[in-house]
Amino acid sequence: MTDPARVLIIEDDATTAREMSAFLSAEGFAPEVCVTLHDGLDRAATHSFDAIVLDRMLPGGDGIDAIATLRTTCPGARVLVVSALGRATNRIEGLDRGADDYLPKPFEPGELSARIRALLRRNDAVGTDLLAFGALQIRIKARTVHAGDDHIPLSPREFDLLVFFAQNTGDLVTRMQLLEHVWNLHFDPQTNVVDVHVSRLRRKLEAALPHPVLHTSRGLGYIFDPNAAPQDA
Amino acid sequence: MTLGQKLTGLIALAIFAVSVMAMLAQYKLVTGDLAARQQALVQSDLDGFAALYDQRRVIAVRQAIEFRKISDPGQDLFAILLDRDGVVLAATHLDWPDAAGKPLAGETLAPRAFTEGGTRYLGIARGLPGGFALMVGRNATSTEQTSAQMRRIIWMACLAIAIAALILGQIASRMILTRLNRINALADEVAAGDLSARLPGPPAADEFGKLEHHIHHMLDQIEALHRATHHLSDTVAHEMRTPLTRIQTRLARLKTDNADTEALQGEIRSTIRIFDSLLEIARAEAMTGESKGPEMLDLSILLAEVCELYEPVAETRGIRFATEIQDSAMVLGDRNLIAQLVSNLLENALKFTPTGQSVLVALTDTPDRYLMRVEDTGPGLPIGFGAQIFERFSRAGSDPNAPGHGLGMALVKAVALRHGAKLALPGVKKGFAIEIAWPKLAENQ
Repeated sequence: MTDPARVLIIEDDATTAREMSAFLSAEGFAPEVCVTLHDGLDRAATHSFDAIVLDRMLPGGDGIDAIATLRTTCPGARVLVVSALGRATNRIEGLDRGADDYLPKPFEPGELSARIRALLRRNDAVGTDLLAFGALQIRIKARTVHAGDDHIPLSPREFDLLVFFAQNTGDLVTRMQLLEHVWNLHFDPQTNVVDVHVSRLRRKLEAALPHPVLHTSRGLGYIFDPNAAPQDA
Repeated sequence: MTLGQKLTGLIALAIFAVSVMAMLAQYKLVTGDLAARQQALVQSDLDGFAALYDQRRVIAVRQAIEFRKISDPGQDLFAILLDRDGVVLAATHLDWPDAAGKPLAGETLAPRAFTEGGTRYLGIARGLPGGFALMVGRNATSTEQTSAQMRRIIWMACLAIAIAALILGQIASRMILTRLNRINALADEVAAGDLSARLPGPPAADEFGKLEHHIHHMLDQIEALHRATHHLSDTVAHEMRTPLTRIQTRLARLKTDNADTEALQGEIRSTIRIFDSLLEIARAEAMTGESKGPEMLDLSILLAEVCELYEPVAETRGIRFATEIQDSAMVLGDRNLIAQLVSNLLENALKFTPTGQSVLVALTDTPDRYLMRVEDTGPGLPIGFGAQIFERFSRAGSDPNAPGHGLGMALVKAVALRHGAKLALPGVKKGFAIEIAWPKLAENQ
């Protein structure tokens, strides 16, 4: 068993910070809370963290102004900005300024932990060409998907969707995340337009595989977990 | 005609007019004086001859004329005496000049200019008592030459002054225009979205300096207001999202995975969306880029991407979805905002178009703009409903339970205007159509 990932939460709303901390502990992280930007920067400079959850409108300044500092004082830490400034413009600004990911408030706690896990996994995924989940095999460079020996024909967009799901196996993936990473669109459409694409992908996968691999998390998004079903069965 | 040309012309004309008038006045003065002296000389000659006649009669006058003729080979003097029958008694030249007229006895005529033997003379004729006519004149050539030379000098001076005046006008107008252009450049920068732009250096202590000072002051105020608006919208977002975060976190802890939870999460999301839309509309209307200015992007690629996103939605609803997008339409713009505009148009089209009907998305190249058109064969707008679909919270459908908040088209308008695009609602036989004409990226940008 490896040590739990250390997460620094820099968040001025005490209630939110407490809830986040409690939830992340329960999810197997080792969180710490700082309520001002100054304290947070001090803490990050003297201790090492795997991930930093950074608020924006903090006493002492805007969190994204501190990202550059955090990069030098706490190298190796992934920075997830979690902010009430959640409009598309704000998110794009945050990513442009060096944030690894940007989660607008309000958020589903499951999405917070999922996004942190996704950030921590980012290093591992680099250079992997073959993603294999039992019979399901995804070849990134060739852009092909097979169930055993059978080729599953996917549209380019469906392939990108599947790869993103596969890179976040077992974690909640929201529709916003899919829009951001697969379509590079940073706004929340009125209709759940993403659902239609996911349904198509799901139909193709289920036609080729013996059990479902894409699960719907009511009102939140999807979880890709090809191993869950056979283990339960 | 530009202001520079007008100013140059006006200044040059003023300098030229004053100089020419001064020279003309001088010319008049000098030529008038010369003429008066000449006349006085002739007058005194005439008086001399007349006095001779009074004292010693005709014979003396004849002798004096003959004497002058001999002693004045340059023929500067002109004198002639006639008897009462008009017969020449004595003359330095052959004849009485016709132009001079014939005086009656005791009458003195006004000075006249005439030519005799190729020489110009100014002469005065007088009728002597006893019926004799006497005329005395003086060579006027040198006086007239002086005048002619003066006129030549004046012409050349006029030419020189005209050139100098044009140059001076140019310099003066450039001095003014440089200052004006400085202020214009500042205004352009501000119009392009940089509210913090200011003119470098302290303002000069003149009227332009005062103008710069006023403009700076105005910009400071606008910037402060702008900042306050931004701060307010950020604060509103913050104050609203923080409690919603708590609600959502606690909702998750209830561990109930049922329809109520999902509905509540949907409500929270929808609340956020209203605020986001309002704030995005406000931002687009404020026309300033918070993160980065407009970027170069290909409208046809972006449009195709968003259409690809919605195409399956149309298919599942049994709506025919067609695209006619022409390649390569480069514009300057905010990719995410334009994508949101297209998304809103497609959501609307798909929402109102019934099964079996069709939606068409087209992008065509026109000489000066790229024309984006989204058209459906749905029910169209209610009668009398036109441009007000672009107002916030205005909804075309009469059903208050239909999804949406009436902000979609307001955002469409705000985003289009922010990019300098023109909106139009062309009438169609059946359904609804909207056209957005995007300004093309200039070749040199």
